Amino acid sequence: MHTWNDSAPIYQQLADRLAVQLLDGAPPEGEAMPSVRNLASTYLINPLTVGRALQTLVDNGLVESRRGLGMYVRPGARRRLLNSEREQFLQTEWPALRDKLKRLGIGANDLNWEEQQ
Amino acid sequence: MSTATTTPLIEAKDLTLSYGKKTALERATFAIPKGRVVGLLGHNGAGKTSLMKALVGLLPGEGELTVLGLDPRRQRGALLEQLCYIPDVAVLPRWAKVHELITLMSGLQPRFSAERARNLLKRTSVGENDKVKNLSKGMVVQVHLALIAAIDAKVMILDEPTLGLDVISRKSFYEMLIDEWCDGERSVLISTHQVEEVESLLSDVMMLDEGRLVLNISLEDMDQRFVALSHDPATAEAIAAAHPLLRYRQSGGRAAAIFDGAPPAHVAALGERIRPSLVDLFMALTRNPALHRKQA
Repeated sequence: MHTWNDSAPIYQQLADRLAVQLLDGAPPEGEAMPSVRNLASTYLINPLTVGRALQTLVDNGLVESRRGLGMYVRPGARRRLLNSEREQFLQTEWPALRDKLKRLGIGANDLNWEEQQ
Repeated sequence: MSTATTTPLIEAKDLTLSYGKKTALERATFAIPKGRVVGLLGHNGAGKTSLMKALVGLLPGEGELTVLGLDPRRQRGALLEQLCYIPDVAVLPRWAKVHELITLMSGLQPRFSAERARNLLKRTSVGENDKVKNLSKGMVVQVHLALIAAIDAKVMILDEPTLGLDVISRKSFYEMLIDEWCDGERSVLISTHQVEEVESLLSDVMMLDEGRLVLNISLEDMDQRFVALSHDPATAEAIAAAHPLLRYRQSGGRAAAIFDGAPPAHVAALGERIRPSLVDLFMALTRNPALHRKQA
């Protein structure tokens, strides 16, 4: 069974999960989002909670409701998501990381910037 | 329950249930609209089963109670045609084959669809020629759910349906419930002790403590009304001084506290806001040390 942590309300955690998938291109821009029923079943979440998660994505300009057809990924959604994730990193995560690097005395040259060891 | 625009499926006003001198439920007032999944939580003896019995007309009560617009005591026959119920003591006849149960239900229940029951059974590993006595406990419960979910009804009442099932069987049970029952029109009232597991399935929660309905709220409102703060040990005294409902430890071991309503800003600033889980809230409201001190 899916586990939800206590960092945020469940609908917010589902919205975050779906956003990560959108960033990975699933589903691609212009394509339909999975239905409420489908998501409710996959994550074992109440359909009303799924609705709130999708509404959060609508509010963030990532998906749109097409009358009678369901939710679709908006063009430019990935770009928008990437920008907000970047902004989030630079504003909140980077200062903490920078402080830690300073404390540890790690400079840019000490870090391996390539993926392989 | 904020979204009620039509008549609720279940409505109770000052409902009191008693066995002789012992009160099982005290002046409970609530409404369950359509399209909801309501969790009924309470410790053993809190009144969950009594309430469910009253809803299906098995227990007389004082106060007002209507289910699907009917009086469960006086119009029990008409009510039972439109309602699905798995009691906590539910058993299926051990000698019966699954297809015989379908035939039996077709004869007993005017709104039962044998075709739908067969379709629901296809979700499971149970065959129509299997005998109940050869099925595992988890399979029996799935057959039971398939049989009652094949009734064209608006309300389902499940009294601890997953008691004694292993995790796989419980998951299959919840999947069938979400996939096959929850369509935005029908509602289900489900009592369970597996609070953590059902939390994400619920739209609303009702908590009983020694016969009193201590909480009746949608999960959406719960997220807003109750504030949980995760905090450092150093701030524990200041947090305690603000009278939280409960102080507890998060799964990681970090200290946390739940407040009913937003704590003062200087207290909120001492920790970071987290989601109060249903289990923690349940502990806070049904084992509140302050309440127990009052009784002592």
